[in-house]
Amino acid sequence: MGNFFSSMFDRLWGVNKELRILILGLDGAGKTTILYRLQIGEVVTTKPTIGFNVETLSYKNLKLNVWDLGGQTSIRPYWRCYYTDTAAVIFVVDSTDKDRMATASKELHVMLQEEELQDAALLVFANKQDQPGALSATEVSKELNLVELKDRSWSIVASSAIRGEGITEGLDWLIDVIKEEQLAA
Amino acid sequence: MSTHTYKKFESSESGDLPDKMTIYQSCMSEFNESQINAKKCRLLIARLLRLLANGETFPETEATALFFSISKLFQHPNDSLRQAVYLAIKELSGISEDVLMATSSIMKDVQNGSDLVKPDAIRSLTAVLDESTAFSAERLLKSALVNKHPSISSAALCTSYHLLPIAETTVKRFANETQEAVVDLKPFPHKNIVGDYYPNSTFITQYHALGLLYQLKKNDKMALLKMIRQFSDNNMLKNQLAKVELVKLVNEVTTKDPQLFIDFQPLLNDWLSNKFESVQLETAKLITNFATRNSRLISSELFAAAITTLQSLLTVPRTSPKFAALRILNRISMVSPEKIVVCNPELESLINDSNRNISTYAITTLLKTGTAKNISSLISTITKFIHDVSDDFKIIIIDAIRSLSLNFPNEWKSIVNFLIDVLKNGEGGFKFKNNVVEALIDIVSFVPQAKETALENLCDFIEDCEFNEILVRILHLLGKEGPSTSTPSLYVRHIYNRVVLENSIIRSAAVISLSKFALSKNDSTLTESIISLLKRIANDQDDEVRDRATISLKFIDSARKSNNQEAQVFIESKYSYDLSALESKLATYISSDKDSFSTPFDVKAIRRFTEDEAKAMELRRKQDQFLKGNLENGRESTPGFTEESAIADSNENSNFSGPSLDDHEQDLLSTKYVDELMSIDQIKKFGSLVNSSKAVALTDPEAEFIVRGVKHLFKENVVFQFNITNTLTDTALDNVTLTCTPENPDESQLEELFTIPIVRLLPSEEGACYVAFSKSEEIVMENFLNTLTFTTRELNQETNEPFEGDEGFQDEYDIDSIFLNAGDYIKSSFVGDFSSTFDELPNEEVAVYNVKENISLQEIVDRLIVNTSCLPLESTQYASSDSNSHTLKLFGKSALKGSKIAVIVQLIKTSKGIAMKAQGRAEDVTLCADLVNGLM
Repeated sequence: MGNFFSSMFDRLWGVNKELRILILGLDGAGKTTILYRLQIGEVVTTKPTIGFNVETLSYKNLKLNVWDLGGQTSIRPYWRCYYTDTAAVIFVVDSTDKDRMATASKELHVMLQEEELQDAALLVFANKQDQPGALSATEVSKELNLVELKDRSWSIVASSAIRGEGITEGLDWLIDVIKEEQLAA
Repeated sequence: MSTHTYKKFESSESGDLPDKMTIYQSCMSEFNESQINAKKCRLLIARLLRLLANGETFPETEATALFFSISKLFQHPNDSLRQAVYLAIKELSGISEDVLMATSSIMKDVQNGSDLVKPDAIRSLTAVLDESTAFSAERLLKSALVNKHPSISSAALCTSYHLLPIAETTVKRFANETQEAVVDLKPFPHKNIVGDYYPNSTFITQYHALGLLYQLKKNDKMALLKMIRQFSDNNMLKNQLAKVELVKLVNEVTTKDPQLFIDFQPLLNDWLSNKFESVQLETAKLITNFATRNSRLISSELFAAAITTLQSLLTVPRTSPKFAALRILNRISMVSPEKIVVCNPELESLINDSNRNISTYAITTLLKTGTAKNISSLISTITKFIHDVSDDFKIIIIDAIRSLSLNFPNEWKSIVNFLIDVLKNGEGGFKFKNNVVEALIDIVSFVPQAKETALENLCDFIEDCEFNEILVRILHLLGKEGPSTSTPSLYVRHIYNRVVLENSIIRSAAVISLSKFALSKNDSTLTESIISLLKRIANDQDDEVRDRATISLKFIDSARKSNNQEAQVFIESKYSYDLSALESKLATYISSDKDSFSTPFDVKAIRRFTEDEAKAMELRRKQDQFLKGNLENGRESTPGFTEESAIADSNENSNFSGPSLDDHEQDLLSTKYVDELMSIDQIKKFGSLVNSSKAVALTDPEAEFIVRGVKHLFKENVVFQFNITNTLTDTALDNVTLTCTPENPDESQLEELFTIPIVRLLPSEEGACYVAFSKSEEIVMENFLNTLTFTTRELNQETNEPFEGDEGFQDEYDIDSIFLNAGDYIKSSFVGDFSSTFDELPNEEVAVYNVKENISLQEIVDRLIVNTSCLPLESTQYASSDSNSHTLKLFGKSALKGSKIAVIVQLIKTSKGIAMKAQGRAEDVTLCADLVNGLM
């Protein structure tokens, strides 16, 4: 009986639906570390992801289906196979990797062109803030040309997956935006 | 439409396949749902797999789309769904390139999955990994290899095994873990669940580990020996397949180095009484195979023990060991039937076995163990049962009988009667009847005593035969053999009957056959009758028949009136062409440009064989076929091992099977050599080629430069052809020549004319260098010491040209001597009745030898056949390894003059060596003396 009510309740809030979230970014940006930071709250040792990792996690009464896709050049073309039904994209940038900011920016903008991602919210993590010489969130935002983005809810958060800083803040913002949009719809 | 009919394929009993597009669509929509229904998806994947298993396939774009939608199922934690996903990935890996996208997800399951999915995840890694990604899975696989759970360990072993060719460097690092996995006995965990009824574990990991370990160490002989020693100790291997694998390992090692066998004898003896039948069988197979190749190195007790084991397996109630034992015995029976005579009582009781495979094998084996004494009783046993079996088995039996007829020509009566009986009374299709007729044709060609009886019965048969092809063959045979029989007119009547009663194909064959009787020497009255018959046929309504009759009449006419030889040749051809050479020559003639058509095709350039020569070749081919079949069976015994071992195997075997194994290839090769030879102007002047020897190796096959020598004999010249292969990888040989010095320069009767060097021999190329001598017309025999001289020049890897300014340096290389002996003047030839031919020949020569070398009778027989280039007759080329004496009968013709020569060699093996008495008879005195005195 209790189950019945709670599911009714969930349906009212649109919570029974799982939300698909993609974590994208260049190789070595820290996507897999962020995923497992979110899921088990710990830092795991990772290897370059060949393919993808997928985990389901509950966050503030929401069920999130988080897909962490490999960032190697050879795997990037396959990202688009996973765009359908995506509620939000988390784009992770290695803030210390100044040389490849341009590449990251290009990949980001190309991805956002995709029809299937028109309604997806964008959260950018300026990751590896624990490292010396890391660019600040503002600098990264500039490098990535985020201001150019129209018709999209986006935000950039400085983070350190290793220390666990910024991750929850970013995700809180994302959940708020998604809830808002669903209410609006 | 009711759902019932719509989804007929869902019932497990219906053979209907689901519709491809329907499945595709539902897969796409179901798998992409955000809420996955595991049960439904699993069912869909099952249907998809069923489609793929039935050979359906998807275009690449669809396969890719399918793969990605399936990869989305990784988000669902259901174990059974995951297993289905692995299967789908494995199947799709063949069509879609993108399966690598599943790598991380699978690896995560290998690491964190439940024991249920772990083995499956590991196995599916085989489908997705490549060389670079395999590296990242190394640690994962290593820890799985030593996992305590047998299924996980097995899966990791199998995956590593399959990855070996893909990612060799990675898998090579698994040797220690693999070794550990062989030794470690892994029972299933949760014993209480498995219960007492089921065995605790099959220990199959041991088998998988042993297989992988072999692959890792196969090139290291010492490591292999250590493996055998270690794992044969105190029952270390519990799994029967692993034990069989170990037996195969011993086989591998002893095949490569037969000298090691002696150390393994006690071990093999133990294995013969192992509790597993498969181990017994494999061991018996190893021992008997080894014995056929290296009979000297094996103790007779061990061989006898192997036979006893096989004998006892013949009486077990289970079909498969019975069948396997029978197969091994059957193979032994082909080379040394006398060794398995002890099993005859068991074999006889198997004739009536309800399993037809077994009964047929038993019969054919028995037939081979047959001796002159029991053949007729065997045949009467078969007669009782042959009508009850299917055509396939009948054919096997007929083939066995056929080889019997070649081995025991004296028993022709009962054999011919049997064949005629099955031919006339037996029910059977074309293939079967054709086989019987072929067996009879063999008998007619090779057993002269049986000729007339067989021919007469074939005549009866064609009165009522429904197969055109068989009729035509028989008519041809009658035309060929009939004219020389005592009563040719009998056959004429039968043949003419066909002209009256049959269709045009048969009529035309009959016409040609009839015309051959016109010149018969045995019955001169026939000529007129044949002419009048042919005249009548010349009015036939069919063009072909008319044409043939008219041209035959023309030939007969001119042959009689002007004694025209050419016409006679057309009617009764005395020789046949080398068909493969004729074909290739004609093909080049046609494909060359138009101008060449102005000169007519020169048929003289093609080798011709007289009837006896053709028969000699055919007989040899038949005996080989027989043996080859046997060898191929032998090779099957090591399927787990690499091709290398199979090759080593065949090399070994060719030693034992006599020199004639690759006869056909040799023929082709010699045709090629002759072509090359004749394209050299200096050699063309020597006139036509009289004889060419087979190629003999003059170096070890592992030498840096492999040299094979061929001797070409002309009327007044000899040309040695040296085929040199450069096995070096980065060095070219320039100006390669051979210096041939006679062993006794003072007495040499040969005068060196010229040498044709090879200008440049690039790495892994083969080139021919020729040395020509002049000689008298007489038979000249000499030995030559040979030295290879050349200049080595290092090659630039990029241009494949020598470095500029590199002068190279001169080098010499000694190779084995080449012998020009009496055998080189002889061509092998066939004769139906050896003893009477031998007695008729006028000049006799006897020589006695004492061979001190420690070699077996078979080896000496092989050597004699090569040295004399004669044809061994009456199956005397196989020396029984049991007896200490053997008689070899050889027959040939002089290549220069065509005179006959026959040799009987008696061999007796004693503790001191082999005593050999050669008795030769020939038309040519000197040839006879030279051959008999120069045997060894």
